[in-house]
Amino acid sequence: MDSPRSNSAPARIGVVARKEVVDIFRDRRTVLVTLMTAIAAGPVLMLLVLNLVARQADRVREISLPVIRGEQAPALIAFLERQQVTLTPAPADFEERIKTGDLDVVLEIDAGFAADVAKGRPGTVHLAYDRSRDRARASIAEVESLLRAYNREWGRGRLLLRGVAAEVANPLNVESRDLATPQSSGALVLFLIAFYGLFAAVMGGMAAALDTTAGERERASLEPLLTTPVAPLELAVGKWLAVVALNATAVLLTLSGFYLMLRFAPLPAVGIPFLFGLTELGRFVIVLTPLIALMPAILLYVGCRSRTFKEAQSNLSVLLFVVSLIPIVQMFLQRKEPAWLTWVPISGQYALLSRALRGEALPMIELLQSYAVPGLLTLVALLAVARLFSRESVLAGK
Amino acid sequence: MITTQGVMKSFGRRGEVQAVNGVSFIAADGEITGLLGPNGAGKTTLLRMLATLMIPDSGSATVDGHDVVSDRYALRRRIGVLSDARGLYPRLSARENIRYYGALQGLVGDALDARVDALIRAMSIADIADRRVQGFSQGERMKVAIARALVHDPQTILLDEPTNGLDIMSIRALRDLLRALREQGKCLLFSSHVMQEVSALCQRIVILGRGQVVATGTADELLAQSGERTLEDAFVRLLGSGEGLAA
Repeated sequence: MDSPRSNSAPARIGVVARKEVVDIFRDRRTVLVTLMTAIAAGPVLMLLVLNLVARQADRVREISLPVIRGEQAPALIAFLERQQVTLTPAPADFEERIKTGDLDVVLEIDAGFAADVAKGRPGTVHLAYDRSRDRARASIAEVESLLRAYNREWGRGRLLLRGVAAEVANPLNVESRDLATPQSSGALVLFLIAFYGLFAAVMGGMAAALDTTAGERERASLEPLLTTPVAPLELAVGKWLAVVALNATAVLLTLSGFYLMLRFAPLPAVGIPFLFGLTELGRFVIVLTPLIALMPAILLYVGCRSRTFKEAQSNLSVLLFVVSLIPIVQMFLQRKEPAWLTWVPISGQYALLSRALRGEALPMIELLQSYAVPGLLTLVALLAVARLFSRESVLAGK
Repeated sequence: MITTQGVMKSFGRRGEVQAVNGVSFIAADGEITGLLGPNGAGKTTLLRMLATLMIPDSGSATVDGHDVVSDRYALRRRIGVLSDARGLYPRLSARENIRYYGALQGLVGDALDARVDALIRAMSIADIADRRVQGFSQGERMKVAIARALVHDPQTILLDEPTNGLDIMSIRALRDLLRALREQGKCLLFSSHVMQEVSALCQRIVILGRGQVVATGTADELLAQSGERTLEDAFVRLLGSGEGLAA
C-alpha cells in the first residue's frame, strides 16, 4: 500500500487517547455524574456549613433572653439591657419550648432573690436550657458569661464600698491571645475543601476508567482491538491519558467551584477564616497532580481485572472506602503529623493541602516526596495493565 | 497465504483441555478456505492463534511468511480479523468506529478518509454512517465490523463464524463481498459449523474435529473420500459419529 502511514508508538497512543476522550465525553451518564459530584457537591456543602456558622454567630450577637420575675432583680435587668440583650417575658410553657428547640435559654430569677440580697445572702438565679442542642450552645455560653461578668462587677462594687481594692479578689489575671491567623481557624471548612479536592482527584476518573476497561471487555470490543497493531502498553497509556484528562477536568472544576463561590457568591458575613484565592487554587493543583495521574492507572488496573462493569465497581468499593477514610482519620487525630507521612499517597497530599489552605508556601522537598511514591505506583500500575492486556485470559468470558 | 504446521494449544491449569491438537493446513491466496467443524472443534482457538491473540504451545504458523509469534506486530498489518467477539463502540458513529481502526493501522489524513468512505460505500451503509452504533441492527453491526476489519486492505482475512445471527439478505451480501475479495486475490479463511455456508463459498474445506484435521480437500474430493452423496453425510462420516449434528 502506497498511502501515507504513520507507524510510531506515540501516534498510536494519540489515536487511542483521542478516541477514548471522545467516547468518554459522549457518555452522558458518566460525564453528568462526574461533573455533578465535582461542581455541585463540594461548594454546595460548604455553603451550608458557612450558613450554619453565620447563624450561630448571629444568635450570639442578637441575643434575646426570656426572663421570669425580672422585678426581683432590677439591677441585673439594667445590666443585661446595657449589654444589648433583648429581654422578653418568658412564656408559661418555656420548658416545653426549650425541649422543642424554640427557645435556647431562659433566665428565671428566684422568688426569694430580693429578700436574700437584702439579708446579705447570695441571690439565686436559674438558667434553663438544653445543652444537647448544638445551635443553643453559643447562646448558653453567652448568657453564662454575662452572668459571670455581672457577678464580678457586683462583687467589685461591694469591695470598693468596704475600701478593699478589687484586685484582692482577682489575684489571677487571664489574658488570652488567639494566634490563629485568619486562615488557620475554621478547621471544618478547611477540611471540606481539602477533602473535596482529594475526593475529586480520587473519584473523578472512576466511571470512565471502568468503562474503558471492564466495559470494553463486556462489550466484546477488546478482542478485535487487540488484533490491530497497537501494543498492550500503548493501549494502556492511551487509555490512561484519556482518563487523566477527565480526572484533571473534574479536579479543576471542583476547585474553580470553590474559588468562584468564595469569591462571588453572597456569603454570610462570618469573616471567612481562610483564603482560597488563585494562589491556593494553583497550589492545590500542584499538590493533587500526582493523584490525578495515579488514580486513573489504579482504576484501569482494577477495571482490567474485572469482566464486567458491575464486577469492577464492587472490586473498587473497598479501595475507595479506604482512600476516603484516610483524610477523615487524619483530621480527627488532630496531632502534628509524623514526617514520613508526606511519602504516603493521599495522606501526604492531604497534609500539603491543609498547609496550602493555611496560607503556607509549599516546601519543595516535601512536595517532591509526595510525588515520588504516586509516580512510581503509576508506572507500576500502567505496566500491570499492559501485562493484563497481553494475557490470553483477557479474551475469556464476557 | 496461511501455513500451519502441527499447531497445538491446550487450556486449563495443567493443560488438560487440548483445544487444538496438531493442526497442519495451507490456505492459498485467491481462495476462500472453509474451516468446518462442530462447536468445540477448536475453530475459534485456531483462528485466535492465527490472529496473534494466542500463542501456540507448539508447532508453527505463518501468514505470508510472517511468524504469528515472533513477527506478530508486522503480521497484524497484513491480516484483517473478524473475530468471534465483534463489539463496536456504541457511542461512536459507524464512521468513527471504522476510522479508529484505520488510524491504529497507521492510516492518516486523506488516505484514511478515502479508505473509510470507500468501505462505507462498499458495505452500503452510507445512510447510517454518521449515526451512533447504539441502535444498529445485527446486520448493520456486522457490516461495520467487517468494514473495520478491512480498513487497512489486508491481504489475509480471518472470519470466525461471520454469518452468526444474520438474516438471509445480510448473508447473501456477505457472500458477494467475500467472493469479490477472493477475485482480488486475497486469502480468506472462513470458519463455520454450517455445511451449506461452506459449500456455497469455499474452494477448499478443512474439516476439524476435536482439535485435529479430519479431512481436507474440495467439496468433490471430500465426497469421494467419504463415499457419501451429500456433503452433510460426508461431514458426519468423516467426523466418525453423529456428534457434528448433535452439537
